[in-house]
Amino acid sequence: MTPTLIECRGLARTYRRGPELITPLDQLDLDVDRGDFLALMGPSGSGKTTLLNLIAGIDRPTGGTLTIGGVEISGLSNGALADWRSAEIGYIFQLYNLVPVLTAYENVELPLLLHKLSRRERHERVATALALVGVADRSSHYPRQLSGGQEQRVAIARAIVTDPAIIVADEPTGDLDRAAAAAVMELLVRLNREMSKTILMVTHDPGCAAHANRTLHLEKGRLVESGLAAAH
Amino acid sequence: MLSPKYIPYILKQVSRHPARSILTMLGVAVAMFLFVSVQALQRGVAEATEVTGKEVTLVVYRENRFCPATSRMPDSYARRIAGIPGVESVVPMKIVVNNCGASLDTVTFRGVPRENIASITGGATILSGSIEEWKRRGDAALVGETLAARRGVKVGQTLSAAGIDVYVAGIVRSENAQDQNVAYVDLAFLQGTAKRGGDGIVTQFNVRVKDPARLPEIASAIDEEFRTDSEPTDTRPESAFVARAAHDLVQLVGFSKYIGWGALAGVLALAGNAIALSVRDRIKEHAVLRTLGFRGGLIARLIIAESAALCLAGGAIGSLAAFAVLRFGNFSMSVEGTSMNVNAEPVLIAIGLAITAGAGILAALLPALSASRRQISESFRAV
Repeated sequence: MTPTLIECRGLARTYRRGPELITPLDQLDLDVDRGDFLALMGPSGSGKTTLLNLIAGIDRPTGGTLTIGGVEISGLSNGALADWRSAEIGYIFQLYNLVPVLTAYENVELPLLLHKLSRRERHERVATALALVGVADRSSHYPRQLSGGQEQRVAIARAIVTDPAIIVADEPTGDLDRAAAAAVMELLVRLNREMSKTILMVTHDPGCAAHANRTLHLEKGRLVESGLAAAH
Repeated sequence: MLSPKYIPYILKQVSRHPARSILTMLGVAVAMFLFVSVQALQRGVAEATEVTGKEVTLVVYRENRFCPATSRMPDSYARRIAGIPGVESVVPMKIVVNNCGASLDTVTFRGVPRENIASITGGATILSGSIEEWKRRGDAALVGETLAARRGVKVGQTLSAAGIDVYVAGIVRSENAQDQNVAYVDLAFLQGTAKRGGDGIVTQFNVRVKDPARLPEIASAIDEEFRTDSEPTDTRPESAFVARAAHDLVQLVGFSKYIGWGALAGVLALAGNAIALSVRDRIKEHAVLRTLGFRGGLIARLIIAESAALCLAGGAIGSLAAFAVLRFGNFSMSVEGTSMNVNAEPVLIAIGLAITAGAGILAALLPALSASRRQISESFRAV
């Protein structure tokens, strides 16, 4: 099995806003190996989230190729892309994006509804995921009854419950206090090291980026710097 | 189709905005109450007025008269009608009503000769009392089930209307709406009691024919028989007679179908508005679901199911309420001595539920389509 999981070649994304043509990502080449923990940094509008969304399959490139696990995902139909996301991607949002009318348990169960699993299998997986992120005792709580840190842990449980190969995280600590942020980062490091998850994380915080084993800097849609972070 | 495992999610979304959902459900319930009521009215009218190939009863009325009080013919006509080939039996009837106009509570007395009571109620089931009891007393009445329930009378009690008091000797159930809403009394008793008319005068003749196919021919023969008499006749099949007598009412009920359609349009508007608002509030949430791997089509089906559930709940309340009110109210529309039941049958509930589910699905189509097609990244940017 090739160590390269994600291959971006000449990746570009443009869109039109009125008469203006916006190019958040321009001719980007990037390889990400299996088990990498990559931090994407750069000023606002540099294309970090656009790159993350393209890799997560929730946006489509307007140029170049994007191959993930040997699949050229920009060529997939909308339905096939949805199925691919369901199997391969766990997405962690900055603002958690839990469904407010569902309990923590039901939120984590949501992605599993798309898989052919019995109710019991779903229960086992949800319980495992919630225990892994340390909020098993909050499973019956609604998002409004949880702290920000707890909400993000539930969101991480939702992202990993289907056991995806890739976890993408868009500023996962951006809305958290220092202690909660540290706990979330510790969790992501564990997922990367103990469960071999490939993680791509957008962050503005160099402290968070330091947890990654590689950091990319983007500016005006182009990769300007790439380096290995200090090992932990 | 949608897997049952999504039902909890759908129900939680329906209850997400309780006030909005309850108001929508109540609106749908009111609309479906109207719709089911209108359907019941129309079924009653259709049942009473649609001529079928099996009909064997003709009603002979005084020509150019439209009210029991003015249709007056000598009962001697019965013998001449009986002599017309194809006629099986003739029953002279005197009809007295407490209200000649359209009413939901008309009491109709039909006076029939004592010897004809068994044949005239032959198709009916005696629910309580007996024909023997009716024959024993001169002031006895066999009361239709609907009329008895509406007036709250039982065997042994007195039914009073139009200045006439009768003893309830039996309560009968019949498939014929006319029999369900009348009190059959002795013809001589009614002729003696009624203020207008007197001995030997009747309102109409009910004529049974042997062959339903000959109904028009025999009707013409009867009218021809009396064409030059002082009291010429107008003979029609019973259902056509009811349709003519209740012409205004039939037209009104016919118009009421627009109220039914209006109610349905109301359901569509209410559900469409509620679902459109709900979808607009959840653009980001739907984007999150799609990020998790939910296909656009699945999102659309979830939204449609949510709308159908909302409408079904309202539809169930409205349809059941209408059914209960109509069933236990025992309403019948009467005019000029003819009756049309308001037919509240269980099938109306099923129709009501099917229609509300359909309306819910229809109302959600556009919002669902829109939600399923919206780009995920654009949805995140839009909020």
